[in-house]
Amino acid sequence: MALPASISGFSVLPVSYSPNSTHYIYARAHTGSKKGFDLPSTRTLFLVNIPPDATERELTLLFKQCGAVERVVFDFDAQELNHDDSDSEDEEDEETGQEEAATEQPRKRRKVSKNDKPVVIPLPPRNLRTLRKTGRSAHIVFLDTSSLARALVSPHKMRQWPVSEEPHGLAHYQALYESLRPPLDAVREHADTSINLYEYEVAKSKQKSKYRKGEAIVDEDGFTLVTRGGAYGQTLGGGVGVASKRFQQTGHTAKNRNRKKEKKEKEGFYAFQKAEKQRQELMDLKTKWEEDKAKVEKLKASRRFKPY
Amino acid sequence: MALNLKRKRETEASSRKTRKIEDEGDLGLAAEDEVMVDSGKEAEEMDAPMDVSEGDEEEWGGVTDADSGVPLLSREDRTGVKPKKPPTGEELRTIKDAADLFRSSSFKLQIDALLPNVRPKASRLPPLDRFLLSIHTFLMNLPSIPAQHPLEASRKLLRKSVSVPYALPLPAEETNWKVAFEKPSDITLVGSWANKVSVKSKDGFKFGVDLALEMPNSLFQEKDYLNGRFFHKRAFYLATIAAAIQASKSGLNIEASYDSLHGDPRLTKLVLVPKKDESQNDFSKLNAQVCIIPVLSLTSPIPLHRLSPAHSNIRVSVVNTLNVDTKTANPPTPMYNTALLHTLTPKPYLLATYALKQGIPAFADALTLLRVWANQRGYSEGSRMCVSGFEGRGPWWGAVLALLINGEEFQDGVKAKKRKPLGKGLSSYQLFKAALDFLAKHDFEKEPVFVRSQDVGQRFPPAEYREGHAAVLVDSVSLVNLLAGVPLGSLEMLRYDAIQTTETLNSTSISGDPFTEVFLKEHRDLPTRFDTVLRVDLSSAQIRKFSVETTVDLGSAALALMASLNSFIRLGLGDRVRAATILHPSTSCRPLTQAHPSYPDVIYVGLIHNPQQAFRLVDHGPTADEQDQSLIERFRELWGDKAELRRFKDGRILESVIWEVKNADERAHVPGKVVRHILKRHFGLQEGAVQTWQTSFDSVLRLPESISSVYLGSGVPAGFKAAISAYDNLVKAIKTLDDDLPLSLLNVSPTSELLRYTNVFSPVPLPVSIADILPPNARYLSPIDIVLEFEKSSKWPDDLKAIQKIKLAFFERLASVLMESKEDLKATVIIGDGVSTSEILDQSSLEIVTPEGWAFSARIWHEREATLLDRIIDGSDKLLPHIVPKTKDINKGKEYHDAVEAKAVYTRRFIHAPRHHRAIAALCHHYSAYAGTVRLVKRWLASHWLLDGHISEEVVEIICAHFFVKPGRQVGIDIELDESAQHIVPSSKERGFAAVVHFLKEWKWEEGLLVPLYGLTEAPAVTGSKASTSGVWSISTELDKDGHIWTSHGPDAVVAHRVQALAKATWTFLQGMEHGNLNVQSLFIHPTDDYSFVIQLEPSALTRYCHNVIVDSALLSKRGKYANRLNEGSAVLPGFDPARLFFKDLQRMYADTLKIFFDPLGGDRIGAVWDPTLKQPRPFRVLSGFSSILIKKDNEKAKDKALVVLNEKAVLNEIERCGKGLVKTIALRV
Repeated sequence: MALPASISGFSVLPVSYSPNSTHYIYARAHTGSKKGFDLPSTRTLFLVNIPPDATERELTLLFKQCGAVERVVFDFDAQELNHDDSDSEDEEDEETGQEEAATEQPRKRRKVSKNDKPVVIPLPPRNLRTLRKTGRSAHIVFLDTSSLARALVSPHKMRQWPVSEEPHGLAHYQALYESLRPPLDAVREHADTSINLYEYEVAKSKQKSKYRKGEAIVDEDGFTLVTRGGAYGQTLGGGVGVASKRFQQTGHTAKNRNRKKEKKEKEGFYAFQKAEKQRQELMDLKTKWEEDKAKVEKLKASRRFKPY
Repeated sequence: MALNLKRKRETEASSRKTRKIEDEGDLGLAAEDEVMVDSGKEAEEMDAPMDVSEGDEEEWGGVTDADSGVPLLSREDRTGVKPKKPPTGEELRTIKDAADLFRSSSFKLQIDALLPNVRPKASRLPPLDRFLLSIHTFLMNLPSIPAQHPLEASRKLLRKSVSVPYALPLPAEETNWKVAFEKPSDITLVGSWANKVSVKSKDGFKFGVDLALEMPNSLFQEKDYLNGRFFHKRAFYLATIAAAIQASKSGLNIEASYDSLHGDPRLTKLVLVPKKDESQNDFSKLNAQVCIIPVLSLTSPIPLHRLSPAHSNIRVSVVNTLNVDTKTANPPTPMYNTALLHTLTPKPYLLATYALKQGIPAFADALTLLRVWANQRGYSEGSRMCVSGFEGRGPWWGAVLALLINGEEFQDGVKAKKRKPLGKGLSSYQLFKAALDFLAKHDFEKEPVFVRSQDVGQRFPPAEYREGHAAVLVDSVSLVNLLAGVPLGSLEMLRYDAIQTTETLNSTSISGDPFTEVFLKEHRDLPTRFDTVLRVDLSSAQIRKFSVETTVDLGSAALALMASLNSFIRLGLGDRVRAATILHPSTSCRPLTQAHPSYPDVIYVGLIHNPQQAFRLVDHGPTADEQDQSLIERFRELWGDKAELRRFKDGRILESVIWEVKNADERAHVPGKVVRHILKRHFGLQEGAVQTWQTSFDSVLRLPESISSVYLGSGVPAGFKAAISAYDNLVKAIKTLDDDLPLSLLNVSPTSELLRYTNVFSPVPLPVSIADILPPNARYLSPIDIVLEFEKSSKWPDDLKAIQKIKLAFFERLASVLMESKEDLKATVIIGDGVSTSEILDQSSLEIVTPEGWAFSARIWHEREATLLDRIIDGSDKLLPHIVPKTKDINKGKEYHDAVEAKAVYTRRFIHAPRHHRAIAALCHHYSAYAGTVRLVKRWLASHWLLDGHISEEVVEIICAHFFVKPGRQVGIDIELDESAQHIVPSSKERGFAAVVHFLKEWKWEEGLLVPLYGLTEAPAVTGSKASTSGVWSISTELDKDGHIWTSHGPDAVVAHRVQALAKATWTFLQGMEHGNLNVQSLFIHPTDDYSFVIQLEPSALTRYCHNVIVDSALLSKRGKYANRLNEGSAVLPGFDPARLFFKDLQRMYADTLKIFFDPLGGDRIGAVWDPTLKQPRPFRVLSGFSSILIKKDNEKAKDKALVVLNEKAVLNEIERCGKGLVKTIALRV
């Protein structure tokens, strides 16, 4: 089938699944990392529409002729990392854990930087394929720059889809079933170490934090931050009162919430008010009646009132 | 005038009080004026009846007189008022009336819209009038026929191909009386047509225009009441007219046929239907038929006092010359007497109805409503199954209203319970409601009713009626018992329907308008109406104790058979049923050559169970030392050899009947079994002649024979009870370990359908001993979900990720101590589902397999999670506490979405599921049929590949509950209190299933559904997941206002349409019950024509193939393809279902490409439909979310736009690759 070699700047890369079916991967050189996400633009290939069951190994094998692949970043995981980068406080920790995190399931916070930091012992690894949503993208980082050019130059030759050793189908589900039920020892170790890490981090953040119970937070310029936490509705460290939660949310204080607003005018005081009210009632009655009638007319039009 | 004044004043807007008062006075005056006008009008109309009763030609003038039928309110011009003006006084009155006298104003408007549709069209009347004129002339000019021997006369007529409908006892050769013909002394238009209260019949049956021909008194003698002589004379009279009309020279272009009222050959009438010829007299467009009814004048020589119910007017010895002595051969002949009296009634009825119509303005409308209501429920003639005994009972409905309006006749002694007459100013709706109320409350079996007659008083002593008839309601002219021949079973059914409708009308909180339900919907469908339906083929029926007397009294053998069927079935069932009704299609007109009516061969017996009594296994009879020997005799006579003398635990020795059942399913069949036994014993109907469907419904909920026999053989306790006790034991076991756990256990809540009776299959354990015997594809063990709640402690970490880890630690600890404490117990920590990578989602669970072979899956509920998740969702964890975030969407990153998802799972799993479980379990205890209904519906949805993948099981439970709970009815409390309502709900799973299917067929899901599952009046506010949902069904309960807790993941619009289509198809199948060709199995066979491709799975690789609807038992053999592999490792893998995992993976992977369907209960096929939009070429996008292929460019113009379509072949290939070992073939459909 004569297909165009490129589409919207992507090279079309036919991959043969079987003699009668061909999958198409669209490839392009990776251009700039948007979200501070670290991918070398000179040797990264951007792939669209990778097979949903593709593993890193399979993609590596697919591009074997073009050159050695350093790593594969799947679209889904890349997003996750971006996010973690942008809002996590302990950046140094996360960055080191990034590489493992991209490929390992489930991710662990493997911390190596400081010696007193507890190490989480991960659950036994699972060498299973991850089935992703179809039509997703991936980045392939080659070891050297020339591979990228090679990958983009000769994509039209039909390649066979390599199938790696991770099981498929029934065997996959059996293996998954097994791996989800790790030995109790492993679970205990993993849980204990994770909790240790958590406690360590809590302790560390407490140390770091300016927030101390009962002490006012005063910044460099000598301003006191007014924040709830002290006794009797006062700020930390005492001194001034702080607004209640309810006031923050609704703007009502406990006092004015209960008091009803006095109406300026009395109701039903003047005769005309009464007359107006009566008239209004009648009008309402009539409008409702008209509405009902219109509704029934509509139903009538749809021949609904023929019972049989 | 006064009204104009009022408006003026109001615009002045300054009216003083005094004026105001004046205004109101004016209004009142205006209203009075109205009344005056009305009464004047009525006075005019009063003159009309005189004409009618004269019986001259003028009477037809009454029909053309068009004005009187117009309802009072339609006179004013409602539409021509500008909306800005306040209503005029008259309008106001209409509006107020509508609101006060009717259920609501829209209800009144709907009634107004309905009424013209069920009445004859005025424009089509003239041809009928012309025809009536000409037939009047024709009949009056008929020549007399001199007296002759009846048989000779019939032979003569037979030559003209008209047979004389002589009834039993037939005239013999030696009779010495003669039949003759003279022109009628009077012709009157009678019945509903004359009073303009006719109501259109069901199924296109015609309006009846009744012509009463008064036979001249000279034809009769005093003794004619004896031995059917009167009826023979009447029959000859009718046949003569028939012959004359049929003769070609009559000039009337009509088709004549015979029809018998209630199927009684003595009450035959002549039915005239016009042939279409477009002539002046052709009234065929009116869809009416003229009925000629020969009647007797009240001044005839036949003495009335001989016709009381207790008199015997047939000397059976004449017919049956056996050597019986005359005394016993003359039992009373109540039915015969009633039939004779019937020929006297038309004229008095005409007058009585007329008087009512004139006296009460709303009478005609009320009668119409009542009859429409009755027609919709099969209490009339029709081509579908109608309730036996209500055919041709027009006067009865009028009499019910007359009873309410006139009140009841004094009965000697019983003055206390006298019914008070109703006011005359009531609206049609109020009268209708009163009639329903009467029908709902009155027990005709116990108490006869006599409508108060204005002048006549009571003709015959009341006691005589009670002797002769099962149910008694004597008309207002005190002639006829209108319920003679109506079986009590039918009246019970009527009562049941009336109760149901009253409840519908009374319930205020039903969102829908009850109008449709009451008047517009048809309620004749057998499957939704009766708990048990039996189809009986009567062609081989033989009454065991044939009695000539009854046959002669009732008029024909078929009627006698029917009557005796009715009474025996009732006797046999006793208080097991609320109503036992016989249904059959109405008898139709027969040609003039056929003297006697034909009766249906097939009848249906419909039972409405009394849930407290229906399923008892023993019927107690009289004690062995009963003094009255006849009681014992009667008991033995009724039950035959099934009756035995038994000694019971309490020492009593009783005659009794035992119904043996093999399992719980069969217990529900007991009422059906009783009927079968009765039919067999008393009517010689063998098994083949009686058909029921219960067994086939049961079989779809059962494991295949080869599997269940294994369980039966092993003696392992199985079933819901066993599952619950296994659960209780586990809870006890965990509670005793409190000391070994870091925190003590506060609560354990079950959330599994296996513990609330609503699992499709009765739960079974899988101990190793059985697992070895079972084939590998029947070795599925479903885990039972439970939720553990530990006591609160400040030591819980305040971080979501850490909470999930600590849960792991808890599980590990619990698993170790459990395994230590109990030998053979296996506990494993499951760390997730292998799909989700979210770290804040509650993922882990503890799998416990007890030594008995039950599997449990426990999760830990920690309340703090909700707060922490809410913080992320609200974004308040990032900010200092006193800063209110300005916009909600500051942080919509992955963390936010994860939190929303986790919160949804949390709410569903820990808040709603336990509560739902409790409510459903209570419902199952309260209503015996509920669990079965849910199981059938689940099975049905599953077999059509919708359950689990698209429709959650909880929502099925709620939809089914809709038919059992009603607003304000608390489940589990006040069982005695709501007993009256208890039997309104379905009492068999088949009926519940039919009701749900019917509901799904009609339901407009945009309107949502509110099910008051929890019986709460004030609901606490629960914040459900606010996330946009893909499900379109909104099924809310008091604790879930949005109604999306269980429907957030589907069904979407496409699937919802599919459910509706399937329900429609299933409903059509269920209707097959009425033709006897319903095959229950076929309801559960899924049509696969609509799928783009169907993936055939490998049955031997499916762990729960044994649950398949159509199991191929050959595939359940021990040696499967991968049997050896499954046998490796642990033999029992709780919850391991690769097919379902595969299906879920496919659903996730191709969410935007395919719609995938699968039967979670052992399905061996997966069906899928391409998203049709993906087949359209579209521009290439990077994140398109589907596997695409470039298409060849046809022209160069589209150069810059590269178009792609779905790469179907590659997707199929991927599916095959991912399903290696599971997928057998993929069959593409074009």
